[in-house]
Amino acid sequence: MRAKVIDRAEVLKIVDLLRKDYEVLAPFCGRGRDTFFDIVTDENRDQIQIHVPNPYYPPKRFVLPHIERLLKIEQHDHTLRVEPTYDEEPRAIFGIRSCDVAGIYHLDRFYLGGKFRDIYYEKRRKNLFLVNMVCTDPELDIDEECFCVCADTGPAARDHFDLQLMDLGAEFMVVAGSARGEALLAHPLFKNGTAEHLEKRRRILEEARGHFKKANSWFAATIRYMTQDRILEKTWEEVGHRCLECGGCTYVCPACTCFSVTDRQVGPGEIERIRLWDSCALGGFTRMAGGFNPRRAVHDRRNRRFFRKLAHYFIQRELSMACVGCGRCVAVCHGDVGMPSVVEMIRRATAANEKHEPVTNA
Amino acid sequence: MNPSPTPNVFLPKIAILDRVDSEIDDVKTFYWHFKDPADQEAFRVFRPGQFAQVSIFGVGEFPASLPPSPTENEYFFTIRQVGSVTAALHQLKPGAVFGVRGPYGNGFPMEEYYGRNLVFVAGGIGLIPLRSCIVYALHFRKKYKKIQIFYGSRVPKDLLYLETLRKWQKTEGFECHLTVDRSTEGWNGPVGVVGSLFKKPGVSVPVENTVAFVCGPPIMFRFVIRDLKTMGFEDVNIVSTLERYMKCGVGKCGHCCIGVAYVCVDGPVFTYAQIQKLGEEI
Ligand SMILES: Cc1cc2nc3c(=O)[nH]c(=O)nc-3n(C[C@H](O)[C@H](O)[C@H](O)COP(=O)(O)OP(=O)(O)OC[C@H]3O[C@@H](n4cnc5c(N)ncnc54)[C@H](O)[C@@H]3O)c2cc1C
Ligand code: SF4
Ligand code: SF4
Ligand code: FES
Repeated sequence: MRAKVIDRAEVLKIVDLLRKDYEVLAPFCGRGRDTFFDIVTDENRDQIQIHVPNPYYPPKRFVLPHIERLLKIEQHDHTLRVEPTYDEEPRAIFGIRSCDVAGIYHLDRFYLGGKFRDIYYEKRRKNLFLVNMVCTDPELDIDEECFCVCADTGPAARDHFDLQLMDLGAEFMVVAGSARGEALLAHPLFKNGTAEHLEKRRRILEEARGHFKKANSWFAATIRYMTQDRILEKTWEEVGHRCLECGGCTYVCPACTCFSVTDRQVGPGEIERIRLWDSCALGGFTRMAGGFNPRRAVHDRRNRRFFRKLAHYFIQRELSMACVGCGRCVAVCHGDVGMPSVVEMIRRATAANEKHEPVTNA
Repeated sequence: MNPSPTPNVFLPKIAILDRVDSEIDDVKTFYWHFKDPADQEAFRVFRPGQFAQVSIFGVGEFPASLPPSPTENEYFFTIRQVGSVTAALHQLKPGAVFGVRGPYGNGFPMEEYYGRNLVFVAGGIGLIPLRSCIVYALHFRKKYKKIQIFYGSRVPKDLLYLETLRKWQKTEGFECHLTVDRSTEGWNGPVGVVGSLFKKPGVSVPVENTVAFVCGPPIMFRFVIRDLKTMGFEDVNIVSTLERYMKCGVGKCGHCCIGVAYVCVDGPVFTYAQIQKLGEEI
């Protein structure tokens, strides 16, 4: 991958450059901890945040909106027109974090892989340019909840971005991850780097990794227990008792994929078929006609979320687990059953239950 | 990313309703064709056991089995009215337009069963998906050995496709046994659960080289499986279809998942051996 450098004062000029061809989204601060991605305009351009706590509302919505129209339907007495509506707006996300880059890559394999490709996702994704910002600031970028180091997705993405920026102090290092990214690097804004820059990058990255003190999510053991069906029902019940069924964890998750489809009347004879994010935490998710629900108990549904994310079968299918370690579910869950807590609950309970026979001398 | 254009799997094709037959209470059969002859032709590839997504625009979409066999020349659905979309379909009159997309799902591997005995066991509207296999198997009668149909409903008036069943009962070359849980005026056939037919005098169900198809309500499913196992059937030789709430039919929405399976693409047809390995109760 090719790398260049850019002066600190010039960094937002990358946004200006991108705005010629794309609608650019960048992180901004709200009130308190609140941060969000918003469309960059001439007015807000200078408020773009370089180092910032990752917004809870994941940038996943730029490839899979919370609510999107699939079909526009016009039905009058003798006519029926059904027309798909696509969003092909070229968009760039400036400052997407590494975990979310991995999240989008996970969605790529899910929506564009398998037997059927999702054309709505594909059209948005094709037109999406990703400028990844490496998380290096221990105060702003790296939250207590972050555990990308355990999920092997950060703090610096290794792949699947178009451009990657990393703060070296007076300058930023810029790495191209795609042909489109490389084309942009040809602009005179970017200067050639030196061996010193590379050394500095290595050092800063090493330091950044040291800031994830609390992140120790033992995925490996849990994946094994999950796949081998060794997790006790009791453990799931404990997780279930703590879940309030708000659905929050699924709505903030950059790697969750489930949705629902419904029709809505928008005018006389005018109908929209829309799809919207849905959540396996909610009771109606699997309820069938007649009221039968195969996952009636809360803990069966919680089980589902973690099984889907961690079972080896799915990891093999999508080449990664469906958790990128962003920590959002940790932050939003009222019952403290976000991903790392559950991984830990499972690991402890299962290990305790399967204590090895004490070894004795013959 | 893939250079070949991606078809829109969410876009239903326009269908026109030809006629409606009442079957039993709340269940009707809807005969239809695609408006575009190209769609009509393209749909012929469907296999027994597959399903389609049916759209009533403005109300919604639901999955429905394809009861016709690909060897027949007509498309139809047999639908029980249970909720909003099925009720809206029940109100349509001939000439009405609606949407269909598919076919989806794996279907039964009927060619793999060449040279074997086929035992069909259905309860209630579980006969809908099996109708396709039965008609298919009878069309290719010589490819299969013994063919037996065992079908039961709660009361005689709940027997689906009764005319077809009566015809089948009179046809040589295969057996068609009916039963009801409770007899009513005019019924002179057997009374009892569907599994009781296996032990009826004169009936002999071969176990060697046989595939058993089982479709019906959960309770019937459990009892029939128990009977078949007692008779010596192996789990791999029992096939069924699973029903789940479905929103997309194409493996994306996540509603139909059971354990490791997305029922809409990995199923709905599973062997009993597979069902037990899904990693979640059914
Ligand atoms: C592969 C497959 C094949 C099938 N084949 C056939 C067939 O051949 N014939 C047939 O008759 N049926 C068949 N079915 C069943 C059929 O799909 C359902 O009966 C149908 O989806 C019901 O749709 P509906 O809109 O009428 O009901 P709805 O009113 O939409 O109810 C359907 C589901 O929506 C949900 N729902 C409704 N209201 C609410 C609410 N207020 N809150 C939360 N959730 C709600 C429930 O989960 C309910 O189970 C098949 C199903 C599958 C999966
Ligand atoms: S955020 Fe927590 S409480 Fe809410 S649905 Fe998820 S696990 Fe349950
Ligand atoms: S499961 Fe939790 S930590 Fe993992 S990607 Fe989803 S929201 Fe982030
Ligand atoms: S019905 Fe949507 S994934 Fe199976």
